[in-house]
Amino acid sequence: MDRRGFLKVSLGTGLAATAITTVAGCGGSGGGSSGGGDEVTLRYAWWGNSIRQQNYTKALKQFSTANPSITIEPEFADYTAFQERMTTQIAARDVPDIFWIASPQVLTYHKSKLYRKLDDIPTLKWDDYSKEDLETFKLDGQLNTLPFGIFTPVIRYNETVAKADGVTVPAEGPGWTWDSLAELLVAYSKNNPGKRKGTPYAPDHDLTFEAWLRQRGEQLWTQDGQVGFTVDGLGSWLDWWEKLRKAGGALSLSEQEGMGPDWAQVGKKVLVNFGNSNHIIDDAKMFPQEKFRLRAAPIAAGAPAGHKYLYFPRMAIYQRIDDGNLEAAGKVLDYNVNSADMLKTVRLTMGAPTNPKVAEQAAAFASPDEKEMLAIVAKERAAERKPRYEAPPGSSTWRTTMARICEEIALGKTAVPAGAKKLVDEIGAGIKRAA
Amino acid sequence: MTSRSRFHLNRQGRAAHVFLIPWQLGFLLVTAVPLLASLYLAFTNYDILNAPEWTGLENFQRMIHDDQFWASVRVTLIYVLVSVPLQLAFALLLALILDRGLKGLAFYRSAFYLPSLLGSSVAIAILWREIFGDDGLINKGLALVGIHGESWLQNPRTALATLIVLNVWTFGSPMVIFLAGLRQIPDELYEAARVDGAGVIKQFRHVTVPLLTPIIFFNLILQTIGAFQTFTQAHIVSGGTGGPANSTLFYTLYVYQQGFVAFDMGYASALAWVLMVAIAVVTALHFLVSKYWVFYGDN
Amino acid sequence: MTRLKHAGLLVFVAVMIYPLVWMVVSAFKPPEQILTEPGLIPKDLTFENFKEGWHALNRPFSAFFVNSLVVTLASIAGNLFSCSLTAYALARLQFRMRRTYFAITLASVMLPFHVLVIPQYIFFSQLGLVNTYWPLLIPKFLATDAFFVFLMVQFIRTLPRELDRAAWIDGAGPFLTFWYVVLPLMRPALVTTTIFTFIWTWNDFFVPLIYLTRTRVFTVPVALNSMVDSETQSGVGMLFAMSLLSLIPILIFFAVAQKYLIRGIATTGLK
Repeated sequence: MDRRGFLKVSLGTGLAATAITTVAGCGGSGGGSSGGGDEVTLRYAWWGNSIRQQNYTKALKQFSTANPSITIEPEFADYTAFQERMTTQIAARDVPDIFWIASPQVLTYHKSKLYRKLDDIPTLKWDDYSKEDLETFKLDGQLNTLPFGIFTPVIRYNETVAKADGVTVPAEGPGWTWDSLAELLVAYSKNNPGKRKGTPYAPDHDLTFEAWLRQRGEQLWTQDGQVGFTVDGLGSWLDWWEKLRKAGGALSLSEQEGMGPDWAQVGKKVLVNFGNSNHIIDDAKMFPQEKFRLRAAPIAAGAPAGHKYLYFPRMAIYQRIDDGNLEAAGKVLDYNVNSADMLKTVRLTMGAPTNPKVAEQAAAFASPDEKEMLAIVAKERAAERKPRYEAPPGSSTWRTTMARICEEIALGKTAVPAGAKKLVDEIGAGIKRAA
Repeated sequence: MTSRSRFHLNRQGRAAHVFLIPWQLGFLLVTAVPLLASLYLAFTNYDILNAPEWTGLENFQRMIHDDQFWASVRVTLIYVLVSVPLQLAFALLLALILDRGLKGLAFYRSAFYLPSLLGSSVAIAILWREIFGDDGLINKGLALVGIHGESWLQNPRTALATLIVLNVWTFGSPMVIFLAGLRQIPDELYEAARVDGAGVIKQFRHVTVPLLTPIIFFNLILQTIGAFQTFTQAHIVSGGTGGPANSTLFYTLYVYQQGFVAFDMGYASALAWVLMVAIAVVTALHFLVSKYWVFYGDN
Repeated sequence: MTRLKHAGLLVFVAVMIYPLVWMVVSAFKPPEQILTEPGLIPKDLTFENFKEGWHALNRPFSAFFVNSLVVTLASIAGNLFSCSLTAYALARLQFRMRRTYFAITLASVMLPFHVLVIPQYIFFSQLGLVNTYWPLLIPKFLATDAFFVFLMVQFIRTLPRELDRAAWIDGAGPFLTFWYVVLPLMRPALVTTTIFTFIWTWNDFFVPLIYLTRTRVFTVPVALNSMVDSETQSGVGMLFAMSLLSLIPILIFFAVAQKYLIRGIATTGLK
């Protein structure tokens, strides 16, 4: 490279590159609003698998087609990566205008003042909701997040495989207990033609864990933002899984390639799965030849009244959104929850609609899988329910910690009581640091 | 000193300041200030959103009782102690084989060097996941001879080994340096040794090894520092968790988790400082010990 | 004996390169055959993995290639500019802090990046520069890749001093001397710097992972990582296809600039 070459490369590429960088609009933060004009660009961030990614991308495009002045920039990631990315963006104050809230983050974000209040945006209507509903939606008495779906803890089973292998999953009722489920899974794993196992190893699944706790009279979090369960309570859950695992009723970590396995990989290796009621919508599509059914989580003998609960996934508008973008953002939220149009594209992947009117409309076009899910949520919704509280500030990594400790237990590195104590201690320490 | 040369010196000094503007800015803004800032943060509880809160030695006390910290120290030490010597041994061995007029040297050199070029990329880390997975290439190979292998990545006893293999696989770059070093050893020395009746092994011990020690030392320092800072491979292969059971929890990955996942910036800064001190101590030790085994021509 | 040596070496080369070849072949196999039929000769050939992988994220992969290219070229420009200026001053000019500065440069080669990254992140994020390329590029324009400064200093020291002395006597100041005399002679060192900056920046993962969180600014490694996260049933094939593409620029560089590359490594290690 001679001098002229150097000049060319150094200055030429330098200038060109920086020019491209600036022109490409990568400079600065903000949602890219165009100031005075009517054109609005909004960032919309959500998580999921690739099916949900494609559906939402499509639905958001449809929204922009119907509202040409509003462009939506999609920001998608897998559940764990989504949370990591949000954390980094919060620190940099570069938060998307509209974002979903993962369950461990709800009050952490609230404490970081991420949520804009939602009851004064003219484009977002609340008329369809009952007063009681609105009360349960509030955090600290403020209506600043939008619950846009309902999940319940379920056991999902592969009906096609069950029939072929001559297995009956007990109906809900007195015969449907944790013990009977464990028996079924162990017996099935021992003897089936496809060499399947009963279930993936999933003691880190949060919703079924919470169901277990509530049936023991404990809870996940307390009202005053502390750990709501005891070392014994957690230990009993881990014990149930340890027994199941040792009896061969669950996949080994090797067979499922680690904690939190990919359903597309393990779906062909198991009979049932522990999950959220909504998971059936996208998961079933990965095995189109097979039929999946849901059972509510089993019930322990002597479970106290009101142990049932609903989980609401929430979304929010960023506190520091440009005022000029607020109405457009309200419109997007409205599109998410108050009309069935979007659901026709994204389907009920985020559970039963919270808006009762939309729920009625959805029932009309629901697929068989979706009807299955709606039915089970409706039943739980009708049951007596004691309140549940959201994850407090400082607990935002509790699910990763739990997965790690479950892994250590399965690998024989930690005994159940020690692991349970460690988890409770670690979560407590995190909450204390954040206080 | 004549006034003319003093004038020159002044002029040079002024020119140097202009030439060094980028470097000085960089040193100040990108290195020195952040270094001091992280030292300060190491003594605080800081989540970026709220002001840092001085907590004294708390972060360092926390390390003592932190299982994951110790796990990451263990993983990193094993990795450095096993993979660096193995990698250098391979590099030296192949350099010796390729040295001295073997035909096709350029071809072999390129072929062995290629993995070094790619080894730190995300693409190769992805490849590694598929090679050592439950249904991976290795297990398929084992199945051919009737062995049913488990996932190498999900077994805490073997997960780290797969990353050590990855590092050894990139022996090409130290090999190239060895080759260059070997070429600088004058032929006369070997001839003289032969005249004295030294066989191949004696020549190796008394000519090659001593004259190569500076290169070995250089490679050792470089690869050790690099190994301490391994991140990409561990992050991709374990999906960012450092699992199974912390067996691939590299120190840098733990710093990342604390800093950028849990946003415990104070604790992460403390961890980073411990790493820096550790690297400094290890490097200093290397230099101290080098007096006893590295042979420089002039002494 | 030599024949035996060659046979042994060739087997070893085959083992070393096998994973790479397997990746190349697998990228062209239908996804379900990659892990079930791990042989090197594919039963069916398909470009499906490339097509699907190209559109697996919210933006086509071409966007990430452009991003990576922008970052890489700008980094090269930055390093050439800042490191050559610094190296010339350290190697040729007489000034008071010279030894100290050189010592600092040497020491900073050993400084672990992780100890700096947190304050840097805080700094850049307060300036609102997250999700821009400035945090990746500014350090390059400030001569912080001490390795290259070191390399260039060593190189300039091998150049005969008489040349720049002559220029000085002709009345050219340090700037003109640098520009017209030293820089042209530094060509090999500049080429080495270019090559290594290219490879390192192209492969760099940690820094972009932290600063680039929006899909539209992703570089190729971050985009690949994002694909790993949302791996689905057809994931392996897509991942291999995109991984393979991501390596191609490096392979091209390797093919074209091999000579410089090898010489570059060899000379940096030596006095």
